[in-house]
Amino acid sequence: MTTSVQSTTAPRAASRTAARQGSPRRRSSRRKRGSTVLTIILWVILVYFLVPLVWLFISTTKDNSDLFSTFGMWFGHSFQFVANFESLFTFQHGVFWQWALNTVIYAVVSAVGAAILATACGYALAKYRFRGRNVVFSIILGSIMVPLTALAIPTYLLFAAANLTDSMWAVILPSLASPFGVYLMRVYATDAVDDSLLEAARIDGAGEFRIFATIGLRLLTPGIVTVLLFQLVATWNNYFLPLIMLNTPSLFPVTVGLAQWQATASAGGGAQVLFSTVLTGAFVSIIPLIVAFLFLQRYWQSGLTTGSVKG
Amino acid sequence: MKFRKTAASLLSVAAATALLLTGCSPSGPSGSQTTKPVTQDQIDKAMNTPTTLTFWTWVPDIQNEVNLFEKKYPKIKVNVVNTTGGAQHYPKLRAALKSGKGIPDVAQVEYDYIPSFTQTKSLLDLTPYGGADLKGDYVDWVWNQVQTSSGVWAIPQDSGPLGTLYRNDILTKAGINGAPKTWADFATAAQQVKSKTGSYLTDLPGNDMFQMIGFFWQAGAKPFGYDGNKTVSVDLNSDTDQKVVSYWQDLIDKDLVATDPDFTDAYYQGLAQSKYASWLVAAWGPVFLQGTVKSTSGKWRAGDIPQWNAGDNVSGNWGGSSDAVMAATKNPIAAYEFTKFINNDADSTLMLANQQFLFPTKTATLSTPQFVDQKSDFYGGQQVNKFFAGVSSTVDKKFEWLPFMDYVNSSYTNTLGKAIADHTDLKAALASWQSQVVSYAKQQGFTVK
Amino acid sequence: MTTLSSRKNSAQLRRGQTRAAWTLTVPFLIIFAAMFIAPLGYSLYLSLFSSQLVGGEIFTGLGNYLRALQDPSFWAGLGRVTIFLFVQVPIMLAASICIALALDSGRVRGGRVVRLLVFVPYAVPSVVATLMWGYLYGSDFGLITQLFHAVGLSAPNLLSPKNILGSTMNIVCWEFIGYNMIILYAALRSIPEELYEAAEIDGAGQFRIAWSIKLPAIRQALLLTVIFSIIGSFQLFNEPNLLSNIAPNSIGTDFTPNLYAYNVAFRSQEINYAAALAFLLGIIIMIVSFVVQTAANRRERQA
Repeated sequence: MTTSVQSTTAPRAASRTAARQGSPRRRSSRRKRGSTVLTIILWVILVYFLVPLVWLFISTTKDNSDLFSTFGMWFGHSFQFVANFESLFTFQHGVFWQWALNTVIYAVVSAVGAAILATACGYALAKYRFRGRNVVFSIILGSIMVPLTALAIPTYLLFAAANLTDSMWAVILPSLASPFGVYLMRVYATDAVDDSLLEAARIDGAGEFRIFATIGLRLLTPGIVTVLLFQLVATWNNYFLPLIMLNTPSLFPVTVGLAQWQATASAGGGAQVLFSTVLTGAFVSIIPLIVAFLFLQRYWQSGLTTGSVKG
Repeated sequence: MKFRKTAASLLSVAAATALLLTGCSPSGPSGSQTTKPVTQDQIDKAMNTPTTLTFWTWVPDIQNEVNLFEKKYPKIKVNVVNTTGGAQHYPKLRAALKSGKGIPDVAQVEYDYIPSFTQTKSLLDLTPYGGADLKGDYVDWVWNQVQTSSGVWAIPQDSGPLGTLYRNDILTKAGINGAPKTWADFATAAQQVKSKTGSYLTDLPGNDMFQMIGFFWQAGAKPFGYDGNKTVSVDLNSDTDQKVVSYWQDLIDKDLVATDPDFTDAYYQGLAQSKYASWLVAAWGPVFLQGTVKSTSGKWRAGDIPQWNAGDNVSGNWGGSSDAVMAATKNPIAAYEFTKFINNDADSTLMLANQQFLFPTKTATLSTPQFVDQKSDFYGGQQVNKFFAGVSSTVDKKFEWLPFMDYVNSSYTNTLGKAIADHTDLKAALASWQSQVVSYAKQQGFTVK
Repeated sequence: MTTLSSRKNSAQLRRGQTRAAWTLTVPFLIIFAAMFIAPLGYSLYLSLFSSQLVGGEIFTGLGNYLRALQDPSFWAGLGRVTIFLFVQVPIMLAASICIALALDSGRVRGGRVVRLLVFVPYAVPSVVATLMWGYLYGSDFGLITQLFHAVGLSAPNLLSPKNILGSTMNIVCWEFIGYNMIILYAALRSIPEELYEAAEIDGAGQFRIAWSIKLPAIRQALLLTVIFSIIGSFQLFNEPNLLSNIAPNSIGTDFTPNLYAYNVAFRSQEINYAAALAFLLGIIIMIVSFVVQTAANRRERQA
């Protein structure tokens, strides 16, 4: 993995400047002509990305029979939006609420925890020279290559041995370790926190932790938000880990719960026709993340710039 | 130096991990069980001691039956965990058994899965608790599913004797009167239906091993055997099974049956849109169909499954489940009494039949007027329950399973199931199914007879 | 005097810094050791044993690995993800690059909105994405079938064994084109404009500039997306696992190596063999990623 270490430390003046400003460098303001052809092409391409989502929204307004018999991109014979929501939130005694709450807990706790750990570690790796630093960083970098799902089965076995399966910890603990977050924070801290600032603070007599808390954290904020968001998405979308770790439905996150409902809807058994309910649940589950991304774009876009440019 | 310290802390984590590993022990029978018959005093004492039981099931709203039990035994509280069935129920049960944590007292187990849990000694023998005395209450072939020479392992809940649900309107249009009597008639009918109406007479899914096994069962095959210990027999490639798959091969080759996977969205559409004119299905099928294709109400009828020999009247089984008491339970008496109540009490079994639409296994319920006299408009006023109650007594009495049906099933999907879906050689696929299952059994240390 | 005290000071300072460094690093390292190193070690340990339903656990050394290397199911899955890698990844990345370049050119009206909306699928859980596409693919009622019928064509069965890999590729493309596009776009934005202003003045076309100036300049970001895509392809699990509900005959238990390991662990109950499969897969991914990186870096040095 030494190659990646080299490539990340390769000096790139341009991106350094970019990172220091905390946002992509603005180009000269010479306005470019809009190209009609290019604009049309891109907006057409956009249709591909939006059709499934629009379809999903329209489907939340249909009952089961309309779902299969009416045109997918237009409303059905009746408008079942409210009924579907009612069914979503009351089916199996409203367990969907519980799932939604679980997802929020898993995602927020994991994301905040992972961001704190990664920020501290990444900052230390970037700003201090100490023995073992390169070893630690190489191991962390190498572990990015390890397939997470390949880890999931042994992790499950370990947790089973420790009697930790089927608990919230079983989902949260593994999500706290984000090697990619450390990597990102190290790269980000290298650029965003100026050594001379730290030296000045030291001369003023400030302790290392105070420097980290006052100067480091402030300058690292965009990077922290990026790690936070990406870990949030990773946990929010996580399916495999909770699938194998959890038994009790009241501990499920939305992803596992919905997949199970969908399987029930297909496998029948109790003659329950759930398709509309499942789709309504799917619709509800994607709203918070989309909103989070749209509102926090300023942060993650700049954080991502550093990570990728220096990748 | 600092690095060494970290190395030390890493080591200690590793050591802790190793400790955890050794702490992992399989769950043996707990001390609270007995092999001596339980006395009425012991039962009374147990049922009057405050106890909480955990019950894993996927029967929707079974809480209603549980409420009946809790009303009768107010000291016992039952915690119902709805595992929603599907692919996760058994892996999770096994995981719990393996880790020894979170094992339920009572769990729903399908008949074909019972051997896999007796093999690991995870189920409680109900004989000392009075389980064997219930034999006479249940349909013979069903009882054979839960009792072996070494014990009674579960109490039957529901079953799925095979019949034919058919679209009367489509068959009439094709000039066919009622469900085809023999498999030969069925093949002829398939031809007529296809040419006169364009529908397939039925669908043979490549993803449903248990339907296929139901056909084997009906044909009199005995593909599996298990002695309860280390010896299994696998006879999937028998003459009888070959006869069955050759029959279907012919219909597939002539494009007279569809081969869509069942229980998928597309399949329901196929049913609703008259793509298939019949469904060879178990007794739980009628209500299922009713809920799925409401638009075709009144057009369906129930009839016998076609026979291999004219004049015979034999059926097979597809599905059904039981409730088993886990060997690890701390409250064996209460757990047994609960299991018995749910599946033996007259009110509870009738409720299961009429509210959860589980096809009964108890003979008394199978003749209760509140169950059999129901008429269904969906089936043109036919007494479908009464019909299937009759079918239940024609199911071949002895049928065994292997202690690893999970594997048998995934092997099926990759062999015979795939051949059905891909319209390739079913006989060859049957042979490779046989050989895969045999080599798995050997790999797992079983003696294959 | 002064030099002496300052040296003493700096030694103190240095010690303080080392202490701070480890204090900040250790919390992560502990979690990392418990959640990464320990499971990997455990997996390695397990993979050296063999367990049977009858007879229990015995030490078999590399037996499980030898078995995996001869296991047609493992190879079939590996073959499938390799096809995936060579077909889906280039398509996905090419699309990402084109969109990123188009947006970077500044000639798209409403480019900011386009950029955000193309990215939105990334925020959709793969469970939901697969669920939606599953409905859109549905052979008798799906939107795609409806569209085909609307123009009077017969629709292909997108869930058939022949088409399922392509259908899976499409879902993954839909999920990740936007994500990769954002990474590449961010890299493009940080190219100093001086680099190609001269070329523009010399009359070089946009395509020419994109090809000979912009793409080489974002090589590192491209490498990152390639590596991530390689890892993602080999790990393919969620999409096929969920699609197998609606296309059970098209997706066998060994469709991808990961799915196979999962089924071996939880359906065939061969935990030890599953551990070996997972470990082997991890090694293959590391080797491939390493080779790609080395090759890319060598080329860079030559260039």
